[in-house]
Amino acid sequence: MANENEVLLRVENLCQYFRLDANSVNKAVDNVSFDIKKGEVFGLVGESGCGKTTTGRSIIKLYDITSGSVWFKGQRICAGTKSYKDAIAAARKEKRSCKDPARLAELDAVIADQKAQMKAAQSDHKHADRKLINEIQMIFQDPIASLDPRMTVRDIIAEGLVIKGIKDKEYIDNKVFEMLETVGLVREHASRYPHEFSGGQRQRIGVARSLVMEPSLVIADEPISALDVSIRAQIINLLNDLRNELGITILFIAHDLSVVKYFSDRIGVMYFGKMVELADSDELFRHPLHPYTRSLLSAIPQPDPNYEKNRKRIVYNPIADHDYRTSQPSFREVCPGHFVLCNDEELAAYRKIVEAD
Amino acid sequence: MSTEKKLQVKDLTISFRTVNGKLQAVRDINFDLYKGETLAIVGESGSGKSATSKTILGISANNTIVEGGEILYDGKDLLKISEEDFHAIRGDKIAMVFQDPLSSLNPIMRVGKQLTEAMLLKNKANRRECRKKLNTSLKHMSASMVGAGLAEDKALFETFRRIIKTEAKYEGPYDTAHTNAAAALKACDDMLLAIEKDALTDVKGDCRELKNYCNGAIDHFVVRDGEKMKSLTAQLMKQCGEAVHAKSCKGLTPVVTELRSLVEEALACEAPDFFALACYLVLDGKTLGNETAAELNKLTSPSLTGPFMTKFMDSARAALEYSSRKSVEGMKAAMAALSEAESYFGGEMPAEAEAKKKAAALADTVEAAIDPLETVKESSAYTFRVSFSSALDTYYKGVSGNVTEQARFDKQTAKYEAAVAKGKTPNGKVAPLALVDLDIARESISHILVTLKDQFAARTEAVAKFDFGKRSATYVSWLHETALGEIHRITRSMAKDTAIRIMEQVGISEARKRYHQYPFEFSGGMRQRIVIAISLTADPDILICDEPTTALDVTIQAQILELINNLKRERDLSVIFITHDLGVVANMADRIAVMYAGKIVEYGTAEDVFYHPAHPYTWALLASIPDLNSKDKLEAIPGTPPNMIYPPVGDAFAARNKYALQIDFEEQPPMFQISDTHYAATWLLHPNAPHVEMPEIVKERIARMSKLGGENNG
Repeated sequence: MANENEVLLRVENLCQYFRLDANSVNKAVDNVSFDIKKGEVFGLVGESGCGKTTTGRSIIKLYDITSGSVWFKGQRICAGTKSYKDAIAAARKEKRSCKDPARLAELDAVIADQKAQMKAAQSDHKHADRKLINEIQMIFQDPIASLDPRMTVRDIIAEGLVIKGIKDKEYIDNKVFEMLETVGLVREHASRYPHEFSGGQRQRIGVARSLVMEPSLVIADEPISALDVSIRAQIINLLNDLRNELGITILFIAHDLSVVKYFSDRIGVMYFGKMVELADSDELFRHPLHPYTRSLLSAIPQPDPNYEKNRKRIVYNPIADHDYRTSQPSFREVCPGHFVLCNDEELAAYRKIVEAD
Repeated sequence: MSTEKKLQVKDLTISFRTVNGKLQAVRDINFDLYKGETLAIVGESGSGKSATSKTILGISANNTIVEGGEILYDGKDLLKISEEDFHAIRGDKIAMVFQDPLSSLNPIMRVGKQLTEAMLLKNKANRRECRKKLNTSLKHMSASMVGAGLAEDKALFETFRRIIKTEAKYEGPYDTAHTNAAAALKACDDMLLAIEKDALTDVKGDCRELKNYCNGAIDHFVVRDGEKMKSLTAQLMKQCGEAVHAKSCKGLTPVVTELRSLVEEALACEAPDFFALACYLVLDGKTLGNETAAELNKLTSPSLTGPFMTKFMDSARAALEYSSRKSVEGMKAAMAALSEAESYFGGEMPAEAEAKKKAAALADTVEAAIDPLETVKESSAYTFRVSFSSALDTYYKGVSGNVTEQARFDKQTAKYEAAVAKGKTPNGKVAPLALVDLDIARESISHILVTLKDQFAARTEAVAKFDFGKRSATYVSWLHETALGEIHRITRSMAKDTAIRIMEQVGISEARKRYHQYPFEFSGGMRQRIVIAISLTADPDILICDEPTTALDVTIQAQILELINNLKRERDLSVIFITHDLGVVANMADRIAVMYAGKIVEYGTAEDVFYHPAHPYTWALLASIPDLNSKDKLEAIPGTPPNMIYPPVGDAFAARNKYALQIDFEEQPPMFQISDTHYAATWLLHPNAPHVEMPEIVKERIARMSKLGGENNG
């Protein structure tokens, strides 16, 4: 990894809200920020419904994001407008009650500035470079549901190329064969249908389909949750090899912490739409700081009956564990590269824990 | 570890009829499920774990053929009983948590109704069944008493029933009040914490809930001061209104604290002995005054050893002894009849009608030997009639069927070959020849006879050593339980309370609100919890969990596993836990059966399988789990499981096994016994096999684990 510090993907204050009814919104992802460096595997963990899949899908523009922006290779590919709108609304409200002419002029300037920014964001979002977005590909969770049963493996893998506008059949065929071999299948498989494959092979087809577009970032959305243990190891090994050989960057979304630990360089822990902790994977397991991370780590089952019989699960109770009456929490750096969602008081306590070791 | 076998699976073989031929899903598996234990069945998809569990529950798909074997539960062979009899067992005695929550919930029924439906129906059926059981056993007891030379004493049983009824009258409300009190204590704690942190969101809802719990806790034996409790809750509601108005919850603290101390005090009280209490009330004709539970216990305990109970125990003992003696005589007669039948069926097989007549007479003799006062039906005598006649059926059907089958096969082959000879492509294939192996059929007939004879022989010896004093005590407590079951009645509102409690137990927040929602309003994990909650509401004997946590994330998974473990402890539940994840199993299992391609390849206690794995497949499974402590390359198992339409001749795992010997490809390994509890089917355990070490990665891990375990224990 030559350019270790080059940021490939930057997610800034990403918010993704879903409107439930007239008065309530579901904040699926709320103010999440992280960077993914080139060539690394970034793991995203959390319980179901915490917004990790939504984050992945927002990045690839399967949803229009509510607020924040996503930068890929230095270009903004997604942008939401809610933050600007909120700022404008706040300024207007203040303007109504404000009498001071200097302040009024200031507010007008703020509104104009926010409007300009919003316009830029909208334009970026709408005219994002399609070719660039092609470089982000996704591997889906369920290999059975995500492959069209009426298409041959060749058609499935080639579909992206065809949509991209490539008409040269020979080129497509060669590319498909190459991909099949990369993921450990053989040429003969190209003419078969998905149902003729086992679970692990189907997931390999899913991997081949995303790799054929020569992506620089792969979003793997729980690629092994639906697989048997013996086949899981095959897919993990495959992804590991691909990453070492092709230098692909992977955003690895999963709820199985032992797999994430095994596979990722850095891990982000999400809880109810918020990122609560982000650190190197070793660091995270050595010093889990946020109580939710600790409860998550304490829940990992191990193939060891003695250990299991003594394991005490820590229960995370947001009300009992935090005291946010005086100061609100924000995402802060406890030690280099280790971020936790905390307030001042907790930050001091966390720093002490890290230094104690 | 318990020794009572809840469920026994013997030589079970299951196939599926498919377009391409017969797929052998389960091949000759054996296991026992003990009371209060968890048996984990571990294997890949397609190894036949789900096929086994579905067959146990009698819900296998249409194309399933159960080729042989027995599943014994409570004196019944589940493979042979009628669908109507199965209704009484399925979901009630044996419940299942399914893999796919989406397809196992009714989309147009509210969740609450789906939860309570089974509870209400089951309660009705259970009471009916308990009544029947109680009546028949009392009838048998009274008959045995007459046989033992005692006078028939109707009044004795009538008084016993009255005692039980009185007991239930007091115990039911106590239970409800006690659970409410526990819930109230928890609600108080939560509320105090939330007030302190100023994080109370739904003040009104929480207060109302607390009020309901507190008022529900008022009972003669729980919260005795009903007046004080009512005034306190009224005060709570008043404060709550003010708190909403003032937008500050501080005012609630004193009243909640007071409620908490009241409830805590009530919970700390001793529970009364309801049976003794009922004896006291009924036999001594006393009435309940204002005594506390502790005082009452002192008052009532003499009633338990009073003349009535002594007499009742004595008659129970006499009845049991008489009935056992009679059963021993019956068994001796039956053993003679069985030996005779063995030689009768051992030689030339008789004509069908004659054989059936003989079988029916034999079954009568065998059933006469059954002790009607037995509570644990752990003998093949109960299933003898059905299993023996079905074995005979197989034989005689084979005799006539083989001829027609051979004729059909010859005819079709001739036709097919003729078509090929003409150069045409014939339509379809010739279905393969399916003949009944008459030798095997005859073997199974004699096997049934021999097993039963052995069982009877063992039993007659055992009876001589019985301690009838102990047995009569357990019998009376069994009668007592059954009678309570007859009287215990669940109302709609009780069912709702239970449902909401179980919903909270499985980790569904805002259960009261969610109770009224439809399944589509829940996320996948939540739906799975509802499914688990439904199967738990039935309070089953045996719970079969078919990959219940595969779709859930770690925290929820840990919660659900803890929940199942707790329930297992509380209710002495036997659990069959099916999974492909060995990590999950370590937490749960007492015994583990590793399945591959329809066979059990390794069977033993959790310690055996995790610390001394013997089969290469188990090694491979252990090696393919990512480890928190290492980043070594995982050892994936190459290839895929074999196609079970054409099962391999030798060991099914041989093709993927790097330790495979030549013999693995030629002959199936038998089960080698490693220790008393540990078995594995691999040729590597044969005395002549070369010594093979398990893979480094597994060895390292086991070494590390034993070190860790030593630290934890020490």
